[in-house]
Amino acid sequence: MEGVVRILRRFMSMTLLMFALLLVVNIALLAGLIFKNMNQSPSQDEVVRRVAADICNEADENMKCGSITEDLTAIGEKQEGSRAGEKAATASLYWLGAKGKRLLEEHGAWMMLLGSDGQVVANYELPDDIPRSYGVLDAVRFSRHYLLDYPVSSWQRGELLTVVGYPKTSVAKYQLALPVEWVSTLPQRALLLLLSNVLIGLLLALLIGMRMLKAIRPLARGILALSREEPVHVEPKGVLGDLAQSINSVSEKLQASSLALKQRDEARSNWIAGISHDIRTPLSMVLGYASELEEHDEVPAEQRQQAGIIRQQGEKLRHLVSDLNLVSMLEYEMQPLHIKTLRLSALARLAASDLLNHGLDARFSLSLREMDERVRVQGDERLLLRAISNLLNNSIRHNPQGCELFLAVCKKQDLPGRCELIVEDSGRGVPEEELPKLLDLPYSSARRRLAAGGHGLGLPMVARIAWAHQGRLELLPRSGGGLIARLELPCEE
Amino acid sequence: MYNRGQVMDMDMLKDRKILVVDDEPPLRQMLDALLRKEGFYRIYMAQDGASALACIRTDKPELVILDVMLPDMDGFELLAAIRRFSSVPVLYLSARGEDEDRLLGLGLGADDYMVKPFLPRELLLRVMAIMKRVYAPVVAESLPSFILGACSVDLEQATIQREGSELSLTPKERGLLLKLYEHRGRIVTTDALCQAVWGDDAYSYENTLMVHIRRIREKIERDASSPQHLLTVRGLGYKLIVKETS
Repeated sequence: MEGVVRILRRFMSMTLLMFALLLVVNIALLAGLIFKNMNQSPSQDEVVRRVAADICNEADENMKCGSITEDLTAIGEKQEGSRAGEKAATASLYWLGAKGKRLLEEHGAWMMLLGSDGQVVANYELPDDIPRSYGVLDAVRFSRHYLLDYPVSSWQRGELLTVVGYPKTSVAKYQLALPVEWVSTLPQRALLLLLSNVLIGLLLALLIGMRMLKAIRPLARGILALSREEPVHVEPKGVLGDLAQSINSVSEKLQASSLALKQRDEARSNWIAGISHDIRTPLSMVLGYASELEEHDEVPAEQRQQAGIIRQQGEKLRHLVSDLNLVSMLEYEMQPLHIKTLRLSALARLAASDLLNHGLDARFSLSLREMDERVRVQGDERLLLRAISNLLNNSIRHNPQGCELFLAVCKKQDLPGRCELIVEDSGRGVPEEELPKLLDLPYSSARRRLAAGGHGLGLPMVARIAWAHQGRLELLPRSGGGLIARLELPCEE
Repeated sequence: MYNRGQVMDMDMLKDRKILVVDDEPPLRQMLDALLRKEGFYRIYMAQDGASALACIRTDKPELVILDVMLPDMDGFELLAAIRRFSSVPVLYLSARGEDEDRLLGLGLGADDYMVKPFLPRELLLRVMAIMKRVYAPVVAESLPSFILGACSVDLEQATIQREGSELSLTPKERGLLLKLYEHRGRIVTTDALCQAVWGDDAYSYENTLMVHIRRIREKIERDASSPQHLLTVRGLGYKLIVKETS
C-alpha cells in the first residue's frame, strides 16, 4: 500500500506543478494577447494634451511655442469658411503645430477649440455634422462620452477647451467609477484569487488522484497478493480493467501451477508411502521365516547362520523403508509434527545413552561437552531424537577405524533466539567441497554417488528435520581431522 | 466378561484363544505357524472386518491381532465396532508406520501397535505381555524384588535386607530404584530419573537427585564412594547393574 501512497504523492506534486505552469502561461498570454493593441500609444488623453500644447495664437503668452513650429496651419481660415462664424470671426487666429497635425492625421481625428462661451473658436477637419456651439450640458455630456457617436477627448488649455474627436466606432469608451476601498484592496483580492486558484488546483489534483488511487488500489493489492502466492480476484472495471484482468489470469495460472505442484508432491509422497506399505507385508514374511529358521534346532548350524544373514539384511531393508518413508514425508512437508517444549540437553543425553545402551564398540568414545541446560526448543521429540542419533550413527558408520565423539548443546552467541546441538567426531572427515552435497537426497542430480556403507538418507533426513523445525544443518570440517555437524534450531529466550 | 482376577501361569495363558485378522493369506499362515510353535493352539483366522466381527461374537477370542488395512473397512473402524460390545485386548499389526496411525490406534483403545515388518520374537513377546497384563494382573501388580550383591531389595515392601539388618527406603528412593531396575543394565538419564520421581521436566532437581543417589548407595553398596551396582555415567545419568540370580 505504501507504493500507492507514493504514487499519489508523486501525482499530486506533478499536478500542482502543471497547474502552476498553466497559471504562469495564462498570465503571460493575457498580457501578450489580450492587452496588446488596447492602448495604442499614445493614449487619447495624451493625444489631446499634446495637440492642445501645440496650438498657438498671437495673443497667447505661449507664442514662443508657436514660433518654434514651422508649418503653421491657420485654423481661423477654416473657421471663416464654416457656417457659424458670427462672434468667433473676431477671435484671433490659432495655429496648430506640425506635431499636433501629424498626431491628428495618424489617428484620422479632428479637433476643435471651444471658447468659454461654448462657441467653436477654431477647428481642424471638423466634420460638418458637428454643432458649432455648445451649452454647458452638452459640454458635460460629451466630455466623457461621445459627441454624436464620435469618441471625443478634451483638454483644458487656458480659457479654451481643446476637443479631439476620433472617427466613429474606432474607440470604445467606458467610464470607470471605482470605490476607493475596492481599489485599495485590489492586491489582497488578487492574492486571494491566486490562493483560491491554488486551492482549487490542489483539490482537483487530490480528487483525480483519489480516483486514480481507487482504481489502482485493488490492482496494487492484487499484485501484492500475487507475490505472496495467494489467490487473487480484482474486479475488472474502470480504466485499468485490462490490467485487472491480466492480474486475475496470472493469479489463476499461479494457483493452478502451485496446485498441480502440490498434487504432484502429494502423489509422489503417497506413492512412496504406498510402495513402502507394499514392501512391508512381504518383508514381514521374509523376516518371520528367516528368524524361525535361524532359531530352529533341526536346521544345521551353517544354514542357520545363513538364515541369520537373511534376517539381518531384511532388518536393514525394514529400516530403509521406514527411513525412505519419513524422508519423503519430510521432503514434501507432509510429516505431521507433534510439537512440545523440549530441553535440548535432555534430548542429547537420551540419544547418547541410547547409543551406549545398544553397545558402543570400544573403538569409539562418546563424551559430552558444554551442555546448556536452559536451552528449550519447540519440537517433535521423536524426530529431534532421530536427528541426533542419525548424526551420531553417521560418525560411527563412516569411521570404522574408530573415533572420538563429542556432543554439545549451546545457545548461539551471535544469534539471539537460536541454539545449536553440535556432534563432532575426530574421524576421517569429508573433503570440504563434498560437504554440502551430503544434505541432498541420494541419487538426486547433485549427489549421484554414495559413500560406501550407508543408504545415504541419514544426513538428508537430519537436514529435513531441521528445516521442518525452522532450523538448519551445517557440516564443517574439523581442524585436525573429523567432521562437525551443527544442528541449528530456534529456541526460547 | 473376562476373568481377569484369576492367577495363571504361563502355560495356562497359552490356552487363550487368539484371532488373527489379516487379508494376506501367507501372512495369516505364518502367524498361525508362529503362534502354534510358541504353544498357542486355539487360533482363529479372519480375512476381513465382517468375518472378524462374526468370529468375535461367536468364538469370543481373548486376544485379537488386527491389520489396519482390510478389504471391507479399515482396522480403526473395526476396533470401534468391536469396542461397542467387547473389551477384548487388541494388538495392531500394521503396514502403516506413520505416527498418526499409531496414535490413532492406541487412542482407540488398542493394547499395542506394531509395524510390519516385524520380528517374530518381538510379536510373541508383545502378545505375552498383553496376555500377562490382562489375564494375570495380580502377578504384575506387585513391585519387583532383586538381589544386589550382599543385599536384597524388596521394592514392594520398600526394604533392603543387608547382613541380617533391615533398612527402609523412602518413597523417592524406591521410585528411583524402580526406574533404574526397570532399565537395569542400561543408562537412565538424569532427566528421566527426575521426571520419574518429581514429574515433568524437573531438571532443577538434579542436585537433589545426587543426594538421593548417594543415600541409596549408602544403603546398597559395600563402599558408597566406589559403587559396584549403582554406577554413575558421567554427564548422562546412572546405571543399575543387577546380576540375574533366579
